[in-house]
Amino acid sequence: MKAFFALVHRELIEHRGAFLLGPLLLVAVLFGATILAFTVGRVDARFSGALFTVAPLRVYELGFLFFGLGWSLYMISVLFFYCADGFAADKRNNAMLFWKSMPVSDFKVLLSKLTAGLTVLPGTVYAVALLSGVLLYGVAYVTMLINGTATVATLGSIVVIYGNVALAILVSIVCGLLWYLPAMALVGAVATAIGRWAIPISLLMPAIVSTLEWVTLGGLHPFATHTWRFIEYRGKLPETPYVQDWSVSAETFNGVIFATDLISHMDWLQVGIGAVFAIVVIYAASEYRRRVNDN
Amino acid sequence: MSELSVSTAVEPIVSARGLRKKFGGKEILHGLDFDIPPGRIYGLIGHNGAGKTTTLNAMLGLTACEGTIRVLGEDPFAKRAKLMENVAFISDVASLPRFLRVRELFALLSNIHPNFSQDKARSFLEGTDIKPEMKVKHLSKGMVAQLHLAVVMAIDAKLLVLDEPTLGLDITYRKRFYRRLLEDYMTEERTLIITTHQVDEIEFMLSDIMFIRDGDMILHMQMETVNEKFTQLVVNDPEQQAAARAYGPVYEETRFGQTVMIFDGVDRAILEPFGRLSTPTLSDLFVALMQRPTANPEPAR
Repeated sequence: MKAFFALVHRELIEHRGAFLLGPLLLVAVLFGATILAFTVGRVDARFSGALFTVAPLRVYELGFLFFGLGWSLYMISVLFFYCADGFAADKRNNAMLFWKSMPVSDFKVLLSKLTAGLTVLPGTVYAVALLSGVLLYGVAYVTMLINGTATVATLGSIVVIYGNVALAILVSIVCGLLWYLPAMALVGAVATAIGRWAIPISLLMPAIVSTLEWVTLGGLHPFATHTWRFIEYRGKLPETPYVQDWSVSAETFNGVIFATDLISHMDWLQVGIGAVFAIVVIYAASEYRRRVNDN
Repeated sequence: MSELSVSTAVEPIVSARGLRKKFGGKEILHGLDFDIPPGRIYGLIGHNGAGKTTTLNAMLGLTACEGTIRVLGEDPFAKRAKLMENVAFISDVASLPRFLRVRELFALLSNIHPNFSQDKARSFLEGTDIKPEMKVKHLSKGMVAQLHLAVVMAIDAKLLVLDEPTLGLDITYRKRFYRRLLEDYMTEERTLIITTHQVDEIEFMLSDIMFIRDGDMILHMQMETVNEKFTQLVVNDPEQQAAARAYGPVYEETRFGQTVMIFDGVDRAILEPFGRLSTPTLSDLFVALMQRPTANPEPAR
């Protein structure tokens, strides 16, 4: 396992720009934007709107949840590019033969890349999401203290909100990673074979497969096929009724209910099939890599 | 011309039988048979495209071949990862990961390779301009070669394979590279296989040579035997030349007005009256054996 963790660490070093520096830079920009938004009047700092009159602390919930959503989108897009690029990096960096001189199998190397994508990047993104929440809350709380809409006693409620939203973001990230695992593994496997061409190929592949199904099996049009419906189904996380209900109520956000709701609406059979699929394609890619020693 | 003087009692480090490899329908290796015993320094020599790198790749488990090849008793293609605990190689000096710092490289290798010693690697770099904080991509070509050599020398391996390790380096680096290898790494338990086109530079350190020509092993011999078996004759007199030719030189050429002949297995006492005798250098032998009339059965195009 020591070698495996070292290989995961290698991915962090190689991709520290996307994994670490990028998120930190973005959080600095977001922090600046938040301060500006509150100081130049872009945000209703007195929270005098109808919604905030009913639920005065909703700015904390909505703000942090939007940050969480934004960071999740960042994570998914970086993951896609990481898989398309990182799995071909040894070949591109002219270092394939060096890594092949190490006592680690190609399967272990590729698995370490996938593991890095599933742990290091999401871990960093979650950490900066928490940090951005702290910064947002800090700016909002200080603003409210200054304009008299908050007291020291409000701090307790804010901490509880922070904990609930943090839990919701964590569960969303974990469920999202499990849900999109087969897609990431497939992109990585394609990249192992064709390098960075995996980026356009992976984007085109669903349309090509769907079109092939339409041509061979018929249908109204290329995007009215079983393939396309399946891709659409696997393309988004299941909806959670709790979020819809909460958004039109004055209740405070409950992370536990959200997490329970999301987990209960996940198609776990699909998650299991996806995990097996991911292992199979990574294994197939490693067998390809084992036979090809392009440097 | 294969003269395997290996005692059958010694378990070979590398053993190949009927090793064949095809690329796109063209056979590159035509059924090689050889054993490499432990504790030797082998030079694997041949033209570009002769099959040297393919042979090395077969030993290192980087390519699948027909026939049988065993390295330390294992099938290298099936068990490459396990085998690499005891085999180190440099296939391309530019293959070190460029994004790493030297200290990061050593730290990673300490965790990845069970037989890598970070202390040894650091000691090998003492006296060089390579510092732990330097990134590989900022090192010169010679420094990368030094670093790569330090890495493989810090691996306690039974077999070290170097495929053109000094390609593109100047003569100073090349000489330092081989001297370091010989002084700091080689022991009786270790086996070293080197391919290079600068054969004269490694001749002093070789114990055995293997010549590969068009996918066939045409010479596999200990250097001592080479010295006994091959004789170079420099002869000026046309009559003496004609007389010497009667003993069937494997190679003949005229250099600066002098005729040079190389003989295989002809008693030196017989040749002595014809002219000046010496032992051919490895590069002379290489040219001689590769350019024999039968060297390339394919018609010239």
